[in-house]
Amino acid sequence: MQRPDWAPETIDIERPSVARMYDYYLGGSHNFAADRAAARAMVEAVPEAPLMAQANRAFLRRAVQFLADSGIRQFLDIGSGIPTVGNVHEIAQRIDPESRVVYVDVDPVAVAHSQEILAGNDRAAVVQEDLRRPEAILRHPDVLRLLDFSQPVAVMIVAVLHFIPDADRPEDCLRTLREALAPGSYLVMSQASDDGRAGTGERAEAERVYRRTDNQLFIRSRAELTALFAGFELVDPGVVWVPQWRPDAPEQAENAEQAVFMGGVGRLGG
Amino acid sequence: MGDERATATTRSRPGAFARAWAKAVSGTSYLPMTQAQLEALLQRLTERLALALRADPFDLRIGQQVGAELVQSHIASAEGLGRTIEVIQLRLVRDLDLVVDDVEDRMARLLATVATGYARALRDRTLDEQEAIRRAAMMARAQAERALRDSEARFRHQATHDPLTGLPNRTLFTERLTAAITAPGRGADRIGVCFLDLDRFKVVNDSLGHQVGDSLLVSVARRLRRVLGEHLVARLGGDEFVILVERAGCTEDVVKVAEAALAAVSEPALVDGHELTVSASIGIVERQVADTSPMELMRAADSTLHWAKAAGGARWSLFDADRNRRELARYALSAAIPAALDRGEFYLDYQPLTGLRDGRVVGMEALVRWRHPELGVLRPDSFIPLAEETGLIVRLGSWVLAEACREATTWADGPAGAPFVSVNLAVRQLHRPELVQEVQGVLRRTGLPAERLQLEITESTMMSTVAEPVRALRVLADLGVRVAIDDFGTGYCNLAYLRDLPVSELKVAGEFVAGLRAPADDPGSRTDERILASLVSLAHALGLTVTAEGVETADQADRLRAIGCDAGQGWHFGRPGPAAPHLDRCSPALTDTAS
Repeated sequence: MQRPDWAPETIDIERPSVARMYDYYLGGSHNFAADRAAARAMVEAVPEAPLMAQANRAFLRRAVQFLADSGIRQFLDIGSGIPTVGNVHEIAQRIDPESRVVYVDVDPVAVAHSQEILAGNDRAAVVQEDLRRPEAILRHPDVLRLLDFSQPVAVMIVAVLHFIPDADRPEDCLRTLREALAPGSYLVMSQASDDGRAGTGERAEAERVYRRTDNQLFIRSRAELTALFAGFELVDPGVVWVPQWRPDAPEQAENAEQAVFMGGVGRLGG
Repeated sequence: MGDERATATTRSRPGAFARAWAKAVSGTSYLPMTQAQLEALLQRLTERLALALRADPFDLRIGQQVGAELVQSHIASAEGLGRTIEVIQLRLVRDLDLVVDDVEDRMARLLATVATGYARALRDRTLDEQEAIRRAAMMARAQAERALRDSEARFRHQATHDPLTGLPNRTLFTERLTAAITAPGRGADRIGVCFLDLDRFKVVNDSLGHQVGDSLLVSVARRLRRVLGEHLVARLGGDEFVILVERAGCTEDVVKVAEAALAAVSEPALVDGHELTVSASIGIVERQVADTSPMELMRAADSTLHWAKAAGGARWSLFDADRNRRELARYALSAAIPAALDRGEFYLDYQPLTGLRDGRVVGMEALVRWRHPELGVLRPDSFIPLAEETGLIVRLGSWVLAEACREATTWADGPAGAPFVSVNLAVRQLHRPELVQEVQGVLRRTGLPAERLQLEITESTMMSTVAEPVRALRVLADLGVRVAIDDFGTGYCNLAYLRDLPVSELKVAGEFVAGLRAPADDPGSRTDERILASLVSLAHALGLTVTAEGVETADQADRLRAIGCDAGQGWHFGRPGPAAPHLDRCSPALTDTAS
């Protein structure tokens, strides 16, 4: 007799969730008291936190727009969180209704909420999985149903990597994903970075706040993030503070380092 | 007023006010649009505001709609409202170059309606989102619970099913049987259990491999489930299956189930490329629920299965309470042997082997008796077969050997020497590596000369091709111990072993001797006599002596003597009993059979 190798987790809304904290930063109300308390503590430590979230969200929007304009019609958004406003499928399907989007998140509440949002949309789905289990993501029936890996796919890992420690070998996860992708696919990544901000003490404080959530914070430099794009060719302007990545207007890129997050888009050649 | 005057239906380029407004609200919350889209949106709302400021009578709804639309477009934060009010108050009239009567009054009312519409929409949105996230949490919890239940169900399924065949396992079967028996109000129902076991399944495993064996089990399971759909079929382990017939009408119902199962099993089947036809045996128990317990029912079905097996397999057997009682009694008896040995409840009787020429007692066969405290004196046939099955025969046989040798040393020497003692040796004793050592030890301890010990083995004992017993007997024969073949002529009857075995005597089975009771001219009698004569001459040719068993009359003794038989054993010469009276007849003068 064998014990099941997997036991369902319990849902505890008393524990802050990064997905719901992120929603709070974006001005949403898809959050509970514990999330708001943790988010407010985070804002105490890092006053730019809401700005960071907005900047990331805007980066995601511009990146999806760029990918859609480049002909990408398949999106795999890993760490999608609470789908609030400006979701990948809204942007992508507005450009081409045939676009297919699969969201992936570990947070069961975020997944349940996404299911409700996506009900009736047969070209989008949400899957409860972990970035650290790329094989499980790639063989998930909904992923296989919606995405054709013989065609280019854009993998989005936006504002997620800073929750993955080096010990979990994110480069291995990314390699597994890369190996599943067809030439012409894209990788979009952003994560908290401290280039130019080391020593302000904010990093330690932010890490302390996140320790109260299910997730810890692991900040990476521009070079470290760039290294994670291994195998992809970075499109202009490379890995930059997220507001600097193809801004709608030049003034939006001002004081870009305040956004704390760096990001970039890579293309799989061949 | 220029292009700001354009009607709502015409899209116009953002003016200075819309651009200033866009700048003011940028960064107050996440806006899912480009700056150009934002400015276009605010330009449209600017035109609505201008309309509201001029409309006569003042229309509350316009400002409220603008407020609500800001929220719907995700310009939805406290800061977004504050900056909106600020920029309208400061710049709307100036930037649009509006000329309005009572402008202060109308501006205040406009700002109030925008704030009202905004606050109302933001409140609704907040409540909706809160509801949505709570619903999501509930859904997630329900999903987690369902997943937990599914995993529990999976775990429970694993715990109660056989992974190979997918059939319920012993645990589930026992649960169902117990429920069927102990459920209230079911006492009057009848219940049936069929224990099924494949015949010679081991041969399949041994010759075709375990993988084919496993596939065969899967195939049998599938066939049983197909024909017995309504009845619970479980796999107990190995090639053992069991069928539960709940609410049986009568015994015949359960027999029909068993027959269907046997038919299903015996269908030829292609298993891993092998055309296999197997049979099964079934033990059936069928009785009223009130009269039984799950344990008892399982036990009864198991014993009944063994009856079907013992009868040759490919059949069902029905539980028989009398037979079961007898077997249980036999079993209880065999279980009591060790304690009885300890308490000294066994003793030996002796039956003389008498020389046919001189009437002298040449030997005495030791026959074990059990003085059972409740059942009285028991003859060996009531406990020896079971002792042989259970292996207790080894301990009992050792005791018999030692006791017989000990008593034999007390037998007084006659003129021609004291008679030998003949002890039966069971198959299991013969196969023990310690046999030679044991016999030697007994002879040494008792001081009995080896020549005065005869070991009787049956022909079937020698069917085994194992060399060890033959070697042991040869060692013993070399020591001087006599070896006799018991019941000669009824068993294996392959004479080849006579070549290898150090045999000194054949004991001819009583069946042949019985024929000699009929008149000498009876054809059957004549045949037996010829067989006996042939056996005697065969034995003599090989230098063996012959003892006839079952000699009951003087006439039989006479005819045996005439044939040339050496000795006789039977009631005519003396019934089994204590040694002493037989010994008294050792002198030829005292025998009436001497001629």
